[in-house]
Amino acid sequence: MTECPDDVLRDLLPEYALEALGTAASARVAAHLAECAACRAELALLGQVHGTLTRGVPRVDVAAVVAALPRPMPRPVAIPAARRWVMRPVWQYAAAAGLLLAAGSGVAWQRAAGGHAARLADSTLVQSAGRVQAVQATQAARAESGISFGGGLSDLSVDELQSLLGQMDTLRALPSSDPASMTPVIAMNEGGKTL
Amino acid sequence: MSELTRDIEPTPDIALIARWQRGDQRAATELVGRHAQALARFAVTQGIRDGVDELVQDTFVRAFHSLESFRADSSLRTWLFTILKRLVLDRQRSEQRQRSTVELDEEHAVQDFNALDGMVADETLLRVRQAVARLSPLQREVFTLRVTEGMPYTEIARVVGSTEGACRVHYHNAMRAVKEYLSDD
Repeated sequence: MTECPDDVLRDLLPEYALEALGTAASARVAAHLAECAACRAELALLGQVHGTLTRGVPRVDVAAVVAALPRPMPRPVAIPAARRWVMRPVWQYAAAAGLLLAAGSGVAWQRAAGGHAARLADSTLVQSAGRVQAVQATQAARAESGISFGGGLSDLSVDELQSLLGQMDTLRALPSSDPASMTPVIAMNEGGKTL
Repeated sequence: MSELTRDIEPTPDIALIARWQRGDQRAATELVGRHAQALARFAVTQGIRDGVDELVQDTFVRAFHSLESFRADSSLRTWLFTILKRLVLDRQRSEQRQRSTVELDEEHAVQDFNALDGMVADETLLRVRQAVARLSPLQREVFTLRVTEGMPYTEIARVVGSTEGACRVHYHNAMRAVKEYLSDD
């Protein structure tokens, strides 16, 4: 039995026999078959082999197979977005704690040093307290010893309290009390020598 | 199948798998119906005589148990054939062990494949079956997957654990051997 020398076309014959080729490939094989007796003979043999091998194959009971299948496993539920903040990395909490500690240390240092910023803060608070005292003459005695939070706040109105809080906010916005830069300024002449 | 319907793509297996995983039992029915008969054909061509149904069912049960690990780098059908092939080998080994302990007559000592011959009445069909039975096990696997399923060489290579080029050679050698056997009449 002779064989077709066109291996590519011969390789397509099983799919052609099963009608599994696309339209274009199928038309190409059909055109080749019209001219090639060897491929026609091989196609006939493929049909015989297919008929023989598939003969006597029992019909599978699809319903019985499906009944024996496992149930699908539920997929893990995604964590709601609202709760994701709990899962932040530890370093973020550590950084936040460090920031708070640094801020607290700064305030403590200001108060302990009694420097310019602290004095400015005190004067601001005194001014604020003075305004409150102007509104409430009954607080005049307390003005002599500076501001006092002990017991006097309950006597203030809402507006007065808000005014006081506003003054405290300006206190937080004061310039940094860090020491000035110590970088020396070196003056140089035109020749590049230090003066 | 008409020219018009031939090129229409059915719902991909991977989409049916996703539907089944969401609890759609009809998707499982469609998947089993799509592949069960091809698996049964392959089992029979590999010499399985009894319990083909059971073997096909075991294939699907195993596959569905591990569908989470199916990566779709090959087709589902190829994956199913790979599972079935392992089950067929397991069964054949088990049968061989039983044979080694039970004395059998000469008729049972011939190849399993020939045991189906009694079902074939037509002389021509008998000759074709004998021609295929004479192939080596690897040639027979490649040849039957190509002829009965139209499986591409790349997929056949995955099922039989070989290369695409080697499978092409096995197929053409098998075809030549079958032709020669039938032309000897």
